[in-house]
Amino acid sequence: MSELFEKIATGVIEGNLDEVPGLVQSALDDGLDPTKILENGLVVGMNEVGKRFKLGSMFVPEVLRSARTMHAGQELLRPLLAEAGADLGGKILLGTVQGDLHDIGKNLVGMMCEGAGFEVIDLGFNLEPEKFTEAIKEHQPTIIGMSALLTTTMRAMGHTIKAIEEAGLRDKIKVMVGGAPVDADFAERIGADGYGHNAASGAELAKKLAGMS
Amino acid sequence: MRTNYRIHSGVRFQMLSQDQLEELFNGALSVLETIGLDVHHEEARQILGDAGAWVDGKRVRIPQHVVKRCLSTAPRSFTIYARDGNPAHDIHIGPGRAHFGPGPTPPNFIDVDTLERRPYVKDDARIVATVVDALPNIDFCESLGTVSDVHPDLAASYEFATMFPYTSKPIVAWSYGWDDSADIHNIAIAEAGGQDAFEKRPNYVHYCEPLSPLVSTFDAVDKVIFAARHGIPVIFTTCALAGGTAPVTAAGIIVQTTAESFLGLVLAQTIRPGLPFFMGGVLSVMDMNAMILTYGAPELSLMMAGATELAHYVGLPLWQTGGCTDSKCLDEQAALEGSLSCFFSALTGGDLCHDVGYTESGMTGSILQTVMMDEAIGYSRRITRGIEVNEDTLASDVIHNVGPDGHYLYEDHTMRHFKTEFWYPNLCDRHNFEEWEETGRLTMRQRVIDRTREILHSHKPSSVKPETVEAITAVMNAAEERIKNKD
Repeated sequence: MSELFEKIATGVIEGNLDEVPGLVQSALDDGLDPTKILENGLVVGMNEVGKRFKLGSMFVPEVLRSARTMHAGQELLRPLLAEAGADLGGKILLGTVQGDLHDIGKNLVGMMCEGAGFEVIDLGFNLEPEKFTEAIKEHQPTIIGMSALLTTTMRAMGHTIKAIEEAGLRDKIKVMVGGAPVDADFAERIGADGYGHNAASGAELAKKLAGMS
Repeated sequence: MRTNYRIHSGVRFQMLSQDQLEELFNGALSVLETIGLDVHHEEARQILGDAGAWVDGKRVRIPQHVVKRCLSTAPRSFTIYARDGNPAHDIHIGPGRAHFGPGPTPPNFIDVDTLERRPYVKDDARIVATVVDALPNIDFCESLGTVSDVHPDLAASYEFATMFPYTSKPIVAWSYGWDDSADIHNIAIAEAGGQDAFEKRPNYVHYCEPLSPLVSTFDAVDKVIFAARHGIPVIFTTCALAGGTAPVTAAGIIVQTTAESFLGLVLAQTIRPGLPFFMGGVLSVMDMNAMILTYGAPELSLMMAGATELAHYVGLPLWQTGGCTDSKCLDEQAALEGSLSCFFSALTGGDLCHDVGYTESGMTGSILQTVMMDEAIGYSRRITRGIEVNEDTLASDVIHNVGPDGHYLYEDHTMRHFKTEFWYPNLCDRHNFEEWEETGRLTMRQRVIDRTREILHSHKPSSVKPETVEAITAVMNAAEERIKNKD
């Protein structure tokens, strides 16, 4: 059945959003193991996409199309994988912090993380610290990611981490931060677990924090 | 006597036809009328509604007759005045006049002594202002950074307070919101001699940046209201990424950013008809591999040229962009990208061309880049000045007098013209090889660094009035008091 896996992988690389879910479904109909479909099909495709992106032969819109395709295929597998107790990267909560409406970077991180296999819950922008704590309680994510573009609003990341600590939730999650004025020093100062300098490195970081790489 | 003689006295660039410009204009009007923008400011929605806009929750749609009314009250030509009355530092906005200056807010700065990249600090504002004041082809001042060694809420106030005494060239001020805008204004009016005097001779411009796509944030709009109520010439500019926060096509991004800027126009002109208003747009592409807003792309110059033509078509001055680079240091890439965009910007006659000195895609300010670009702008300006053709410049008499086998070095005609016909470089080296060797085989990079340090060593900008010095102290003390209980 390696031919079908190859088709799925190629479908992910080419971003064939219309075809890949059908291919995944027929693999399931053929009685193939969901974990194998994921690992030998979807993930193989997405890994190749990552490689080509780094080499400069694939570009952001193509990568995002592939990520969406991967995600659509994975959604079919998710309930079955959960049943089998397979580890699926887990959930990421993302949001732009209080006072800041800039969200293109955060959106990019979200799309890249979906492509990396995470379930991404985007909380939006201009989020008070309580919005994050409430969402952590509700969704129980592995990771939360915060973003800000302004030097004035990046402080809100620190406030949010404090609020998470006060709510007794800090040791349940990993925190990653990003945004133009943010750097590794700042991330360390406010007690975040990591900093990504762009969307691709954000997704890499998420994998690392989740113990996936 | 000649009749119907057509004079071309400058070199200009034009690419869009009247029909294309009208299509772009209608595109922007249609976005405003049918899609509208989200305006995160209740009072602004109220003002816009009273002006004839349709307000539906946060969404504001503006019918085209309202936009056209506001275009009719916004001036195309006006003057921003030097704070010290030095007419050479006044900026006359009008057709065919391109002005250049640095840009706002990068987090990092290239240290002039160590040449290393580090966070921008307060004293860098003094350095930038002093160098800008001395450079012959830089017309206005911005800080090239966000001050990191003060309370973040006061970064813009300290930036302006630090720059103002070190240059009499008009500053384009950047701020977060109402409070620091007021700090800045109180310093500027102290020097101008009060609010009334300021309104007659405004000595700075205020910069406001809403969000693409189609969002007017609270602070951006609040600052327009502040500027309009205080008679401060205002820029309302988005910084859109083609393919990310705006359409991927040049025409599409021009349509969207023009609509975004027009919202600020309508707000400003409704509060104060006749307020000088600069249409905006930093238009560039999102690099689809590096995921950055590129500052060295040819599309930046091209899109900015299109936006400039559209602004002039509707009778507004434009906030241009050039002299910037994606390079991380003062190298060949920085020279190439910066010089080409300066030249292209000069060709469009875009009114205030900013970001001269942006490096690393807007992440690092470099006054060294500004100094290098001063040379590129001088070079460009000589070209855009064009070829003057008249009896005197045709030089028939002189050619006759000199005749075959003579020379022109003794001629009065040569004496009269050689300083104005020719441009002389400050940085580009024209010596022969031996002379170049004798003077230390200096590269362009080293000459830029030397000139920057020499300016900082010797240039003395004109002082502000004693009452302005007092005002700055009072304003900053009050500002510190204001934020005392904030963390």
